[in-house]
Amino acid sequence: MRAELDQTPRSLLVSERSSFRDQKTRIRAQVEQLHFNYKVSVLLPECCSAPPHLDSIFNTFNSFYLIRNLPVYELLDKNFLETAVYQGSVYGVSYRTRIDEDNCVALTPKGHLTLSLDKDSFEILGVEGKPSRFNHRTKCRFVVSVDLTDSSMAPGGRGYQRLLTGLRSRLQLKTDFLLSHYPANTTTSLQALLSRYDWSEHRPQISRHTLTDLSCPALLTSDLQSCDPHSFMEWVGAVDANVSCENSSSSFLSSLVCPEPRTTVSRALSVSVCGLLLPHDVHRLIQEIRCYLEQPHLESWVCLTVHGYADSPVSWGDNEHSVLKGGENFYSLLMFQDDTYHLHLATGAHDTCPP
Amino acid sequence: MSVFMDLNLSYTNDKSRMQSLIETAAHLGYSTVAINYTYELTIKKSKVPVPTPIKDLMEKLPIVQGRCRPIRVLNRLTVVMSEQCHFKKTGREFSAYDLLAVQPATEKLFHAVERGIMFEVSYSAAIRDSTMRRYTIANAVSLVETCKGKNLILSSAAEKPLELRGPYDISNLGLLFGLSDGDAKEAVSSACRSVVLHGETRKTAGGIVHTMKCCSETPDQQEAPPADCEAPAAKRAKQLTE
Repeated sequence: MRAELDQTPRSLLVSERSSFRDQKTRIRAQVEQLHFNYKVSVLLPECCSAPPHLDSIFNTFNSFYLIRNLPVYELLDKNFLETAVYQGSVYGVSYRTRIDEDNCVALTPKGHLTLSLDKDSFEILGVEGKPSRFNHRTKCRFVVSVDLTDSSMAPGGRGYQRLLTGLRSRLQLKTDFLLSHYPANTTTSLQALLSRYDWSEHRPQISRHTLTDLSCPALLTSDLQSCDPHSFMEWVGAVDANVSCENSSSSFLSSLVCPEPRTTVSRALSVSVCGLLLPHDVHRLIQEIRCYLEQPHLESWVCLTVHGYADSPVSWGDNEHSVLKGGENFYSLLMFQDDTYHLHLATGAHDTCPP
Repeated sequence: MSVFMDLNLSYTNDKSRMQSLIETAAHLGYSTVAINYTYELTIKKSKVPVPTPIKDLMEKLPIVQGRCRPIRVLNRLTVVMSEQCHFKKTGREFSAYDLLAVQPATEKLFHAVERGIMFEVSYSAAIRDSTMRRYTIANAVSLVETCKGKNLILSSAAEKPLELRGPYDISNLGLLFGLSDGDAKEAVSSACRSVVLHGETRKTAGGIVHTMKCCSETPDQQEAPPADCEAPAAKRAKQLTE
């Protein structure tokens, strides 16, 4: 057998330590750039119920819309562009499409429309695009990326017409689409688009779990030299997935253990929010957690993990994203009482380096 | 990458088992499957089996898990050959099949077919029996070393739904056979797509011209566009006006 069997597919983990009070902190940009967030989980140690302010943040995450079978050319509709795309920030990503199998669409808040297409669809569409960075031997995936705010893509222009004709008459790409708009009070701008198709509004799903006698790495001080990022990330993932880290002989062969040195907290609260979540809401949550940490607590840290969509054509910024074995693109923010934080940004094999 | 395919589901007369096989494949995430009929060329006077039409097998094909489309079901014929018989692959009886495969029973024939064709490794035998598991892995490792990981597809040859495994699991099995990450994933997706496209070209003339029988039985069966259709400007014949 070849020796490579013990290697797992490549993954990237970028770790950073900084403070919210530091002038050069990039946390805002790093949160902002992950446009399509699927899940936000918060781990609050020594806490059995979330304080009301924190709870209100969870409950006021932006709603999002699911449009069934949306023809993609509608995203080029002149009225939609003028009232929604040019005005505020529209976040849209195709739903129930697999990035390594189907055609996927993403619309980022800066007005970038990205189409990740298989070979046949790309050739039928007839618009300029590039082969995917993650093609293996054959070029079977292509990416068409257009800036809808650019003058060449203004309605009526050549580039615009070509893409519109391609999507309307040649390729006729239709997909279920998740759409969200910020600021939320201008959702009337989406109404014209929504009214033409089968749509439904959704609130992000919130779930809460109370954990008892949880082994945690001893994170009393923020100077955590002994706990390496990989072990810490494994532990956070195990807690989030409700996997025991006791490693007892009677249970299934799990070799996941809590990193040493460890301590036990009698109870902890894990809150998860799922849906099409906007970076703006994640910011508000981070600020609220900072306020929460200012008050004295038994344990002076909180861990926030934000997962991006595994099947989104873009991850951080407009960087191409794909799936080899897993499409993870997420970050974990460990916040301390003194306004310092540890940030871990992780991606899978088919991704670019996080910011 | 392209959609995941399993191009070898063994055919049985048991209709409910076939339906269960197809449903399981759709649930596991396969977008295309091929039902495999076997034909022994050496047995005299054996006739090529006629494939059951898909709509008779299942009226409504199940939706592939995680996508919005129903599973695509193809018909495949595996011809078992042990001597160099003359085998006319363009025969009328083979036109009902989307894919044709040859199972060489001797090494001599193996060399004859090795040029320019995909090789297939089936894994369900490895699930059924531990001795077969050793043989499957050993043979697959040799095959991968010979063909350098290219032109290889992985399929199940499943007779029961429990013998099917998900595409990512089979891609990991490919790692065991010596394939790289990318090659292993291609073996269940892009390589299978090439096989299916190649099968489609069998019904065309050189992969370029596709002929269809018109409803009215005209002797000239070439597809000719009617005079008033939207032919591309460059190819429109000049109209002489008087």
